[in-house]
Amino acid sequence: MNVPIRMLGIATSIFWIMLIAVVALAAYSVKDLNFDFGEPQLKVATDGELTLSLPLYINNRGYHSLKEFHLSTVFSDMEGVEISRDNTFVPVIAHGENTTILHNITLSAVSLLEKGEQYMFNDNSLNISVTAGLNFAELFPAQISTNFTFPWGAPFYNFALGEPSYRQVDLTQVTIAVPMSFENHALFDIAGNIKIELYDRADSLLGESQTPVYVSQHSAYEGEVEFNVPLSSSSFSRTQNGYFNVYFDIGLLEYGPLVIAYG
Amino acid sequence: MVEQKKKSKNLVKDVSFRVAKVTVKAILVYLIYFLLAPMIAPLFGLIPGFMESIEAFVAVYIVLMILSDLAAKTVFQYFFNTARALFFTGYLLLSMGDGALCTSYENFSLTVNLTLFYTIAVTLSVLGFARTVLQAINFMHQKAEFSSNLQP
Repeated sequence: MNVPIRMLGIATSIFWIMLIAVVALAAYSVKDLNFDFGEPQLKVATDGELTLSLPLYINNRGYHSLKEFHLSTVFSDMEGVEISRDNTFVPVIAHGENTTILHNITLSAVSLLEKGEQYMFNDNSLNISVTAGLNFAELFPAQISTNFTFPWGAPFYNFALGEPSYRQVDLTQVTIAVPMSFENHALFDIAGNIKIELYDRADSLLGESQTPVYVSQHSAYEGEVEFNVPLSSSSFSRTQNGYFNVYFDIGLLEYGPLVIAYG
Repeated sequence: MVEQKKKSKNLVKDVSFRVAKVTVKAILVYLIYFLLAPMIAPLFGLIPGFMESIEAFVAVYIVLMILSDLAAKTVFQYFFNTARALFFTGYLLLSMGDGALCTSYENFSLTVNLTLFYTIAVTLSVLGFARTVLQAINFMHQKAEFSSNLQP
């Protein structure tokens, strides 16, 4: 019985030594791993897609290959609803290898703006959840994750139509001028049309106007919209109060009507 | 009379040798822990309670090792060896939890899946436990064989 006991002892000791050696080498290799982030590049495509390219440099000078490296970025709104998800996967980063990984984060402004008024007219914060993981030394799958917020600037921030002013053109028609203002807080320029319909309190269309707008990012717009309304004793009194239906067409998307009351 | 005196002298010699051996062994084990602890402390310092639990583990392990060595050449040596192997397996199983080591710093959180490592370690410690049981059986068998040989 002494021989099997001795053999069992030797085998156990060998396996313990191997396990400890692998763990010690893995721990030693961690200090020879180098992760570095490059300068992120932001690109805005004509279709309104925002692409953030994040270069990641990995220098693996350790004793083990890094396997199944994955980087995932998830954009979600403040309620936690997922807006976009991007993944980068590298099967193997061999030891002694210097690798550059380009992680592209795409955020479609169109799909975001289609989600509702809050992104069109109000500045917001988006949650970004970043998760990176790898299988280290085939023994230790590790994952690191973090959350931070990304400010979303509304393209029609503080959109407002002022009080109408009336100017008689001739005996048959009157011009109604309405001041219009907003700030473009978005990361892209706005080029398109804003169509406004003027309704009286009885829901009758009195006039409509289309204004071309070009507002570069982070700048304000102030202008005036004019409506030519046929003049009659009844129509003039009807124009004193009512509402505007505003339609936005900025190429990337169409939105409307936004109803704004006046009078 | 002379034989009994010689026997008791041998016993004193044997016990003092065992005590000396145990002292050296305990000092060596503690020295290894003392030298390794500062190296692993920054790595595991982020996990609350980890270093304290390692300290407790080393203390219990050394005590069981001392008791086992003091009780050498008796069946109690195998009791303490088995207790040590069981304690080691139990410690691994308890510290394993869900097999993941999770720690967070500011808004970063790190998760290392140690399931495979723990599985291998627990398997090896179970092998160690089996070895101590076999040693105890072997000891009892040899003792029985020796007694039967003494009988006329």
